[in-house]
Amino acid sequence: MKKIRLKVNGFAYEPVVPFHLTLLDFLRDTLGLTGTKKSCNLGSCGACTVLLDGQAVNSCLILAVEADGKSVETIEGLMRNGQPHPLQKAFVQHGAVQCGFCTPGMILSAKALLHRTPHPTEDQIRDALAGNLCRCTGYAKILEAVKAVAGGKENG
Amino acid sequence: MDRRTIVGQRIDNVDAWDKVTGKAVYGIDLKLPGMLHGKILRSPLPHARILKIDPSRARNLPGVRALITAEDTPKIKYGAQIADEYPLAVEKVRYIGDEIAAVAAEDEETATRALELIHVDYEELPAVFSPEEALGPGAPEVHEGTGNVASQIDFERGDVSQGFREAHCILEEEFVTSNVHQAYLEPHVCIAQADGCGRITLWGSLQAPSRNRETIARILNLPPDKIRIIQTVVGGGFGGKATQVLALYPLCALLALKSGRPVRILNTWPEEFAASRSRMPSKIRLKLGLKKDGTFTAKDLAIIANAGAYAGTGPAVMTTTAMRATSLYRFPHVKCHARLVYTNTTPIGSYRGYGNPQLHFALESAIDMAAERLGLDPLDIRLRNAIRVGDTSIHGWVMNSCQLQACLERAAQRSRWKEKRGQRRKEGIGIGMASMIHVSGNRAVYPHFDGSSAFVRINPTGSVDIISGEAEIGQGSNTAFAQIVAEVLGLPMEEIRVQPLDTDHSPFALGTFASRVLTIGGKAVYLAAQDAKEKLLSFVAQKMEIRREDLECQGGMIRMRNSSKPGLSFQEAARLASMASAGAPILGQGIFRVPGHVVMPDASKYGNLSIAYSFGVQVAEVKVDRKTGRVDVLEVYSVHDSGTIINPKLGEGQVEGGVAQGMGFALMEEIVRQQGKVLNDNFTDYRLPTIQDVPKIHSLFIEVPDPFGPFGAKGLGEITQVPTAPAIANAIEDAVGIRLKELPMTAEKLLKALKEREMKERSLPCAGSSFEA
Repeated sequence: MKKIRLKVNGFAYEPVVPFHLTLLDFLRDTLGLTGTKKSCNLGSCGACTVLLDGQAVNSCLILAVEADGKSVETIEGLMRNGQPHPLQKAFVQHGAVQCGFCTPGMILSAKALLHRTPHPTEDQIRDALAGNLCRCTGYAKILEAVKAVAGGKENG
Repeated sequence: MDRRTIVGQRIDNVDAWDKVTGKAVYGIDLKLPGMLHGKILRSPLPHARILKIDPSRARNLPGVRALITAEDTPKIKYGAQIADEYPLAVEKVRYIGDEIAAVAAEDEETATRALELIHVDYEELPAVFSPEEALGPGAPEVHEGTGNVASQIDFERGDVSQGFREAHCILEEEFVTSNVHQAYLEPHVCIAQADGCGRITLWGSLQAPSRNRETIARILNLPPDKIRIIQTVVGGGFGGKATQVLALYPLCALLALKSGRPVRILNTWPEEFAASRSRMPSKIRLKLGLKKDGTFTAKDLAIIANAGAYAGTGPAVMTTTAMRATSLYRFPHVKCHARLVYTNTTPIGSYRGYGNPQLHFALESAIDMAAERLGLDPLDIRLRNAIRVGDTSIHGWVMNSCQLQACLERAAQRSRWKEKRGQRRKEGIGIGMASMIHVSGNRAVYPHFDGSSAFVRINPTGSVDIISGEAEIGQGSNTAFAQIVAEVLGLPMEEIRVQPLDTDHSPFALGTFASRVLTIGGKAVYLAAQDAKEKLLSFVAQKMEIRREDLECQGGMIRMRNSSKPGLSFQEAARLASMASAGAPILGQGIFRVPGHVVMPDASKYGNLSIAYSFGVQVAEVKVDRKTGRVDVLEVYSVHDSGTIINPKLGEGQVEGGVAQGMGFALMEEIVRQQGKVLNDNFTDYRLPTIQDVPKIHSLFIEVPDPFGPFGAKGLGEITQVPTAPAIANAIEDAVGIRLKELPMTAEKLLKALKEREMKERSLPCAGSSFEA
C-alpha cells in the first residue's frame, strides 16, 4: 500500500492504494468515476483512455501509484460550469455516438490531440485516434465531429 | 406526409448526452451494496467425461459465499432451437470454455482463487474440431446418437436439372467463410439479486429481455414471473446479446439465490472468445447456371456449417445462409442441401446479418466469376435478374416494396462504375460490387406471433412517455421511436422520453434481431401514439363541443383544422384530460400484428416470413499492394432501399458501422483455434478495423415508402454489412485478377496467390511444367 497525492478533474485526493491497483480500477472502483470504460484491460481497445497531465493514456496500463503527483482528467471533468466541452457537443451533433462505450475514451484522445495540435489534418486525427476502437460507427462521424471542432471557432 | 417535420430529419440521438458525459450506466458500471463477484470454472479440455468434481477446498476458502455445480441446477436441457445444453456441464464437457462450476466470493481475487481449488477428474475423450472430421467415418460424437449433425436442410424448388440443361454457362465453386466475433466493446455482464421471497432481479446489457427472461426461467425451472430483467445501457450487441442466453445469466441468478447477496459475473475477453457465440463459419459449394445473356437458370447449394459444441441459434442461422440471398434474384430453379455439424469447438450464434453474409459472399462472388466467363458486365447480370416490386421470390417471399434495380443503377452512376471497371489494373486499383437483401423481422423465430405492442402515455404535465419492450442497443431505436411519436403528436422532441426497458413495466417484446425493431416495434409505437392522440382529441372535442374530425395536433397545440384561431396547448389539454379522470394519464396502446401475407414457413421452409425486405448495393474500390498483398479499401458506396429513412444521420451511422464490420469480416478478422483452443483471444491478436482502416463511405438512400412500416420504414441495421466482403472480393479481382474464395482475404493469402500466379506465368513457356495451366 502507498499513499499518493493526485488531482482528478481538478479535485485533490490523497488515497492509500495497493501497488497493483490500476489507475482505471482506482477511478472506477475507488472514486466511482465509471465514465471511464473498462473492456480489454490490455491497452488494445482505448475505452479506458484518460488524460494524465494532459497526455492521453490507457488507464488500464498505468498503476495508480504512477499517477502520484499528477493530474488526471476523465470524461466527468469535461463539463465546465454546466457547459459541455465543444467535443462533447460535436459528438452529439454529428451522430458520433451509438452504443457510446468507446465515446469517453475517444473524446479524451481527441482532446489531447487538439491541445497539442489545435488544427490537425485528417491524417493527424486518424493517427491520434488509432488506439481507440469503435465497433458501431465505422469512425466516419467521429472523424467528422473532431474535424468540426478542429476547424471551428470554439476550439482553443 | 408532406408536412412531416421530425420524421426524416437529422435529429440528435436522444441518448447521446448521457454517453458523452460519462453518465450512462452500462452493465459493467452497476454496483449494488454487498455485491459479490462471480466467476465460472470452464473446461480446459475440448471433450471429456467428468468423473468427479470436488469443490470442498474451494468452498472452505475464506471469502467464498456460494459455489454451484450441475447438482445445484435443475438439469433441464435447453437451447434456442435444439435443447442440447445445460448451464453447467452434466457428465461431459464438449469444448474448451464449457461451464463446469461457478463461485461467488467477496472479491474477484478470491473467486479466481476458488476456481483453482475446485478439483475436477476428467477422462479425456477423442475430439473433433472441423465438420469434415466430425462427419468422417467412426468420428467421435459430440452428442450421442446425432452422427454430429445438429440440423439439416434439404429442398428443391422447380427442377434444377432442367435449369442446368438450359444453362449456357455452369459455374461450380467452393467458398469458405470464417468465424468472426461481434466484438461489442462491453463484454457480457450480469448482476442478479434475489428478494426475500426468492424473486430474482437481473440487470444485463441484453438485446431481448422478454425472451431472455423466458429462457432463463426455463433453465432455472421457475415461472417467468419469478424473474425481472432490467436492461442496462448496452455497450454494443450486434446479435451477440440476443436470444441465445449465455449460461452466465442463469448462473448469476443461482449464485444470488444461494448466497442471499447480489452477485455480478463479468466475462473477461478470453472468456468472450472462448465461450460467447460468434459468427457461424461455413463451407459453401455453389453451382450456378446462366444463359448467354446472363439470365439465371438454376442454383444448387451444398453447405457445411460448424455449429460448435451446441446448436444454439445455429439451425436458424444456417437457414438464413441456405435461403436469404436467393430472394435477391428471379431464380427459376433452386436446390439446397445444408448440414449444421457439431464439433468440439465454441458454439456459434448470431451476428449482424445472421447467416446472410455467408451466402452473399458466395453468390455475389460467383456472379462476377460468371460475368467474366460470359463476357458480361456483372452490373448487367444483376440488373437482368434483380427481383422487383410485385414479385414473389422462389421461396414465397412477397416483395411489396423493392428498389433493387434502382439501387444498382444509382450505385453504378455514383461510383462511375462503367468508366472505372477494369481500367486500373496497372495501378493495382479495382472496383467491385455486390447486392444485398435482408428481412425486417422474421416470422419463423418465435412460434406464437410476430408483431409488437407499445404504450404511449401522455402525462398530466404534457410530457409523453414511450413504453416498449424492444431494445435500444446503440442503434438509435429510442431516437427513432421518439421521432415517430413527436411527429404523430405534433410535439417537439424534448417532450418525449423513452422509458428504460424493464420486464416488470415494459410490454413483452421479441427484441432486437432480424432488423425488426424500427419496422415492427416502431409500427406499434406509431399505433400507440395514434391511439393516445385519438383519446386526447376526443376529450377536447367533447369539452369544446366540436367535432373530433375538425381537430389536429400541431406545433404543440391542438387546434381547429383550417382555422387561424390559436387553439389549446397540448400541455393544457393533457392537464385537463388528466384532471377530469382523477389524475390518470392518457394511455395509448399500439398493437401491431404482422399482416396476413406474413406466414410461418412450411416444412420445406417455403413461405413469406417477413413483412418487408430491404435491399441495397455496395460498391468498393480497393488498392492492392502487389509486393505485400495488402488491400486498402479506398472508398465505399452503399446504396439502400430501406424505405423511408426516419433519421438520415442515424441511418448513415448504421451504414458506416456496418461497412466497417463488413471490412473486418472481409479482410482481417478470424478467430483462430488449435485443437479447439482459441489462439487470439484478445484485441491485440484479433484485429478489428481501426480509424486508420476505414475509408470514406458514401451512404445513399432511395426512399420509396414501404406500405407497412411506420411512415414507410424498413430494416437497415444488419443489411449494411451483408455485401461488403463480396464487393471487396470482386474489387480485388478487378484490381489484380486474383479471385479469393476464402475469408478473411488477408495479405498473406493474396500475396500467396499473386506469387503462385507469377510462378505459373513464368513456367508457362517450358513444356512439362508441374503447374497446371
